[in-house]
Amino acid sequence: MTGLRASLRVGIVCPYSFDVPGGVQNHVLGLARYLREAGHRPSVLAPGQLGPATEELYVEDFVSVGAAVPVRYNGSVARVNFGPLSAARVTRWLHKGKFDVLHIHEPITPSISLLALWAAERPVVATFHTATPRSRSMQLAGGVLRAAIEKIDAGIAVSEEARNVVVQHLGRDAVVIPNGIQFDDFTHRSETGVELMDSCRSTGSERARLIFLGRLDEPRKGLDVLLAAVPLIMKSRPNLELIVAGQGSRSLPGWCRSLGMISVETKIKLLRSADVFVAPHLARESFGIVLLEAMASGVPIVASELPSFLDVLGSPRDEQRLGEVFTAGDARALAASVLQVLDRPDPLRVTRAQRAARRYDWSVVGATVLAVYRAALSAAPARWAERRIG
Amino acid sequence: MNTVEIVSLMIIVVLIVGWRVTWLATRVDRANVRAERTWAVLDAALVRRAERALELLLVPGIDPATALLVADAANAALDPQLSRQDRERAESDLSYVLDAIGAMLPSESNRLESERARASICRRLHNDAVATALSLRRRYSVRLLQLAGHAAEPRPFEMADGLSQPVIVRAAEN
Repeated sequence: MTGLRASLRVGIVCPYSFDVPGGVQNHVLGLARYLREAGHRPSVLAPGQLGPATEELYVEDFVSVGAAVPVRYNGSVARVNFGPLSAARVTRWLHKGKFDVLHIHEPITPSISLLALWAAERPVVATFHTATPRSRSMQLAGGVLRAAIEKIDAGIAVSEEARNVVVQHLGRDAVVIPNGIQFDDFTHRSETGVELMDSCRSTGSERARLIFLGRLDEPRKGLDVLLAAVPLIMKSRPNLELIVAGQGSRSLPGWCRSLGMISVETKIKLLRSADVFVAPHLARESFGIVLLEAMASGVPIVASELPSFLDVLGSPRDEQRLGEVFTAGDARALAASVLQVLDRPDPLRVTRAQRAARRYDWSVVGATVLAVYRAALSAAPARWAERRIG
Repeated sequence: MNTVEIVSLMIIVVLIVGWRVTWLATRVDRANVRAERTWAVLDAALVRRAERALELLLVPGIDPATALLVADAANAALDPQLSRQDRERAESDLSYVLDAIGAMLPSESNRLESERARASICRRLHNDAVATALSLRRRYSVRLLQLAGHAAEPRPFEMADGLSQPVIVRAAEN
């Protein structure tokens, strides 16, 4: 079956605009980069234009479906496309691309993803991140949606939690493949591990830098909890510094520095300079990619006790856990966890976390996604098989 | 209502019902085909897994007790005469054996690990396809109109994968 090693044309649909950064967008970018480097031919269909955030995508691999419209969906603001014009563009892209596999992200969102799923005639692989709809809206949308879901040949969920939602609400199953990170980007350049451990140790009573990455104006990212906790930490650590970076505007106290939206390079530098990375998310975080990036860059982690974070960090009662966790929304507990990490630095844990993060490198994650493509292709009806034999 | 109106109304109703039934039949057929094809893929993946396990016997320095365990379990799983139920048991046994000797294996067994991961992926796709097919078959209208035809009812393949999730496939294998 030499054909199985042939280069694949993969159509990737991303429902959210590349104009703004986001977990799904980053995932799509990383996947496209991996596929290209592994000798395949990805084509990414997404709203928006290639911006600074999308520099890792080859220009010829990207097709824009036009400007996206911000709408409220599933508890947060999504920038998506819908309507007949978008549907026509999706169909044209599908037609021109002659893909071997269509990989649709967040298939059940009112966006080009659902349009692509509806129009698809090729083996469909679908990745579920967060936005699986409530059963109630599913019921109301009815048989059309059911039939669309049946068209998915292989489902992927980014975490066990995301998979549970797929099983319960869609009656489907999914292979759990976590999100990927560009591990080397966060570790190479200098011998991070050692360097950062030293900076941790040297902090003592001096400066301590806390980092928050994520949208500033979305309550579920939990910045409010962190802002409430910082004064408590400052009682014993007056030289505390909080740096936040992310989209959105909001009023921040004077002791908090905001960098706004930052490039990947700045993010890497910022993470390396940090003493504690805080992930105070309140809910609905299906996968903590920033958590893994922080782990890769060797920063100690303090995260809220969400199932998807625990998947990565290990149980709070586990001696071998990779970071401190606290009850989501509890500022006092957050403060205690941060102090714990600052007062008792654990370089071994940081090294362990770094090693664990390596398992999420795209070289591993991408290969597993490819295995799902191969399985879906092998199971595809004969009329789709010419590429497979090819 | 005159006759013309009644007749045209009936025609419209028949057309709508007919379209719905055709649509449903297409879905049932697609689900059945998917269940069959994913089974073929899973079957092949399990065979490859057992063959890879047998390759362990060629690893230099493998001790005879381990070799016998692996050979026995892999051979049992490769027996073409097995009933479905016996196959499930044999494949699970192979998983347990591979788990038990996992720590002793040299690094070249990455290929085996990848094959195990692949089999696990294929099994999930198959069982997912079976679940979709079964839920369609259970529908009242599908049973009433016998839209599933004579296709045998698909069954999920239950076995222990023995892998810690999430599964990982090593890069070099693709």
